[in-house]
Amino acid sequence: MLVAILAHFALAAVLPLVARRYGRAAFVVGALAPAATLVYALARGGEAVSGAPPLETLAWAPVIGLEFTARFDELALLLILLVSGIGAVVLCYYSRYAKPDDHRTAARDSALLVTFAGAMLGLVLADDVISLYLFWELTTVCSFLLVGGDGVAKRLRTSATQALLVTTLGGLAMLLGLILLGTAAGTMRISEILADPPSGGIVTAALLLVLLGALTKSAQVPFHPWLPSAMVAPTPVSAYLHAAAMVKAGVYLVARFSPAFADHPAWWIPIVVCGLWTMLLGGFRALRQYDLKTLLAYGTISQLGFLMVMLGAGTWMSALAAGTLILAHGLFKSALFLTVGIIDKRAGTRDIRELSGLGRQWRGLTTLATFALMSMAGLPPLLGFIGKEVALEALFEGGTVDRLIGVGVAVGSVLTVVYSLRFLRGAFGTKPDMAPSAPVPCGRVMTGMVAVPSLAGLVLALAPSVIEPVETGYADRYGKDPGYHLALWHGITPALMISVGIIAAGVAVHRYAGVQRLGGYVPGPLRAQSWYGRSVEGLESLARGVTGRLQVGSLPVYLGVILTTLVVVPGAGLFSGDIDFGELRLFDNWLQVPLALLVLVAAATSLLARRRLTAVLLAGVVGYGIGAWFVVDGGADLALAQFLVETLTLVVFVFVIRRFPPRFIENKAYVGGRWVKAVIAGVAGTFVAVLAVLYSGYRGGIPEASRQYIERAEDETGATNVVNAIIVDFRAFDTIGEITVLAVAATGVASLILARSRRRNGTVGRPEPTEQDATDDTGTTETPEVRS
Amino acid sequence: MTDRPDDPRESVPWTEWDTPRERWLMTEQDAYSWPRSLLLEVIARVLFPTVLVFSVYLLLAGHNNAGGGFSGGLVAALAFVLRYVAGGSAELAMMVRVRPPVVIGSGLAIAVLTALAPVVFGDPVLASGIWKLQLPVLGELKITSNLLLDLGVYLLIIGVVVDLLRTIGAGTEVGGPGVDDEQLEEERG
Amino acid sequence: MTINITMAVTLAGLYSVGFYLLMQRSLMRVILGIVILGHGANLFLQVAGGPPGEPTFVGSAVLEAMVDPLPQALALTAIVITFALTTFLLALAYRSWALLGHDEVQDDVEDRRIARAEQAARKVEDEGPESERVAGFEAPEAPESRPGEDDEEARIR
Repeated sequence: MLVAILAHFALAAVLPLVARRYGRAAFVVGALAPAATLVYALARGGEAVSGAPPLETLAWAPVIGLEFTARFDELALLLILLVSGIGAVVLCYYSRYAKPDDHRTAARDSALLVTFAGAMLGLVLADDVISLYLFWELTTVCSFLLVGGDGVAKRLRTSATQALLVTTLGGLAMLLGLILLGTAAGTMRISEILADPPSGGIVTAALLLVLLGALTKSAQVPFHPWLPSAMVAPTPVSAYLHAAAMVKAGVYLVARFSPAFADHPAWWIPIVVCGLWTMLLGGFRALRQYDLKTLLAYGTISQLGFLMVMLGAGTWMSALAAGTLILAHGLFKSALFLTVGIIDKRAGTRDIRELSGLGRQWRGLTTLATFALMSMAGLPPLLGFIGKEVALEALFEGGTVDRLIGVGVAVGSVLTVVYSLRFLRGAFGTKPDMAPSAPVPCGRVMTGMVAVPSLAGLVLALAPSVIEPVETGYADRYGKDPGYHLALWHGITPALMISVGIIAAGVAVHRYAGVQRLGGYVPGPLRAQSWYGRSVEGLESLARGVTGRLQVGSLPVYLGVILTTLVVVPGAGLFSGDIDFGELRLFDNWLQVPLALLVLVAAATSLLARRRLTAVLLAGVVGYGIGAWFVVDGGADLALAQFLVETLTLVVFVFVIRRFPPRFIENKAYVGGRWVKAVIAGVAGTFVAVLAVLYSGYRGGIPEASRQYIERAEDETGATNVVNAIIVDFRAFDTIGEITVLAVAATGVASLILARSRRRNGTVGRPEPTEQDATDDTGTTETPEVRS
Repeated sequence: MTDRPDDPRESVPWTEWDTPRERWLMTEQDAYSWPRSLLLEVIARVLFPTVLVFSVYLLLAGHNNAGGGFSGGLVAALAFVLRYVAGGSAELAMMVRVRPPVVIGSGLAIAVLTALAPVVFGDPVLASGIWKLQLPVLGELKITSNLLLDLGVYLLIIGVVVDLLRTIGAGTEVGGPGVDDEQLEEERG
Repeated sequence: MTINITMAVTLAGLYSVGFYLLMQRSLMRVILGIVILGHGANLFLQVAGGPPGEPTFVGSAVLEAMVDPLPQALALTAIVITFALTTFLLALAYRSWALLGHDEVQDDVEDRRIARAEQAARKVEDEGPESERVAGFEAPEAPESRPGEDDEEARIR
């Protein structure tokens, strides 16, 4: 399985090259990876549904216990059917949908889609928390890039950014929640967390954070607007990401953690409330859409809400329903999106106000789309019907709360029927007062690709025992099997009656346009999209205001702020505890006192000096004083180096000062802040001294490292001067770095000093690296001073 | 009688055997405004070799006494600085035979090669080796590989400081290549 | 054991002078500040070395009486690197003088200017027509229509 994930990424790396040569055939090449994964997963499916799912581990930081584990169980198999199966279908479809001469789009989209498939594969297989997050964010990034396309049109950028911001917000919250959960449980492995779920206040917070991640990813209210916005992406991308794979990630997360936490109120209450609200709102908004794709988007939102509700209900039956519906939804929604793609491509428009008569022209496609719509509305003999039966059975056989939820689900299902009919009529119906569209051929390969998921929904419904082990295997985590089997006909049960009622009500609502006219309109202030817009705008203006205020661009101000923070923040922490200075001595060696006086007086006078040379020479005196201090303290090599370097520094200073005016320029405009600077500097200096006193108090004797250096110096380096041994042997690497710095500084100095200044009329008086004796207008000959 | 065998050009009378052939001291004021002190110039030249020998001593003695590559290199560099301060950029041009960047590069190369050489023998990078040689008169001589690193540091420091003399020292002189005063007056108006 | 008062006072003095010089306008003063701060920092490093003792030559004294060699080695590296930095800064000061005629550290008013400009642009934009900057791709939705009017919904049923 790990190989499969890596194979996806490897293939994605190669695809741009293929696409550059062969154009859209790269999609077919790309479809190989998901198809192979699907075959492999089915071949090993038996192991997955058995009690002991196979585990594969890749240790990538074994020292700190980080490893990537792939666990192939029923839920993973279920989602792999969708991810890899629909992935292969979509990629083959895209090979026909894409423009034949647009190699760049083909390169980009094929690589990104295959990367996305690999990331989703990793997501559903990951058994440890960190890898889960890693693949989660990888899917976010891929979705951003796919929706953004080439990024030229503004709405592409804004939609992609909205998707990115909302899902990343959720992703970060999810990471925090997962880490909290992992620390509370003591392990980062999901299967172990689920086997022995922790409890406590932290767990409540963790679960809410994890839910935030799931809700944003699956476009639940109030985070749903990114999904309709993301419909600017090409249709195959929408079919894969926004129907089958990415939005399922949130549902997968909930499904993965539900068995352990289903009874926790912090888990199921938000899920059920948000899910129900989403289901109703999504269906409601879908009633007013003219664009087929947006209609499907709102429909997806509604269906995802439905899935969330079923997972939140937390019983064996509801889990079975959720599993079946996940599969059914993936199949029918992708089929419908692909249909919309064909309509868009061939008929030229997606607007239902402009389409007419397609049903008569494209009978095959209409039949397949009708199957998918029947599955969505929950009509027999499709998989959606089976799933809905289980759902209704689960809800109406349960307690009061479950029945209330059931009522909500029923209303949502009515809305689903209504918008399914809207789609059918809008896309394929013959409108009475509109001329039918001109006859165009329907792409055969594309229709074939639509057929795969659409007919799969039909076939699986007629033979549900194929997927039953997977579904019941997942449901078994919630409790015991009450002996229910997936089937088209259970007898005249209450659930069947309710289904019939739902369908009848849906058809009635659809016939009566009045309800549709009144419904579907959400007032402006309540729209979640405007909340998003306003929060982004607010953030931008805040950033602008803060930057304009804080970034004054003045070096003294910045330094002043840094120094003040240096004193205030650690100082507050320091003095809030109890500090003990210990006994303080005046000096350790009487020579230190006159040297200290010398250094301080010289530094102070250097500060106040008006002439440049005086200031420099006094700074030199400071340096020599420090060198003498080193001699007193017992550092022979150090003192030697200090004296020599100080002399060199003085020499270099004097060379530069020769060209400057002899006095410092006192600019009256800057005098005002002098006292403030003096106070800040004084306080910061005192703070440093206090720190020095405190730090030195913690030292007790020579530390172990230095002890070892002294003891080993003679044997290992052949030197008795330990400082030298450290410099050229024990820490020779630092020395090499240091001499490199010297060399680089010398080079920089040469470039700065020797570059000729630019003349205003444009010619650059830079020395030519040749021997030519060019004379410029000033009449001096250029000396070829070039850095070798 | 007075023909010097290695002087193929012409016979030099013995009274002129020890006239210096190269320009040992500037006899006239060259086209640079450097205030000259004759005493300083001559003393600097006389002391120059001694200081260089002392710097080599510091380099070699660094192992067992105070000193080392840094101190040795800095002392040698200061000798060059003294000559430059005494004699100006003409003096600099005379005493620098090898281009400073070449010296810097060779110092760095020696240091890095010393660091990488143990890898050839299978030891980790910067492993050191101690060799003891028996010399007939001097007795036992101990050489360590980090002496080579010190040597690289020594060369590099000399090269850097002489380069600084060339750039900051000579480059910023009036009329030097650093800035063109006339041009500057023109620009600043 | 804690350092003595003399050292603490010297550190305070050096750091204060260094910080003050660092906040000055003239680049030459800033460089002097860096040099003095460097000296203060080297002195601070000796804090880690403990009280004064014998120089660390193997065989010259007892290990307990020796001063810690490691901070000295690190301080040596720091001295050389400060020197390199100082020469580079001096070259900068020189170049600044050559190009501009002075060596003052100017304020960078670009950020303030941009903030003011964007503020002004926003004001103009807010007063203008409603722009699309907020919306993503909002699908065309059916508008409210009064009852009795011929609406499109009836047509597409």
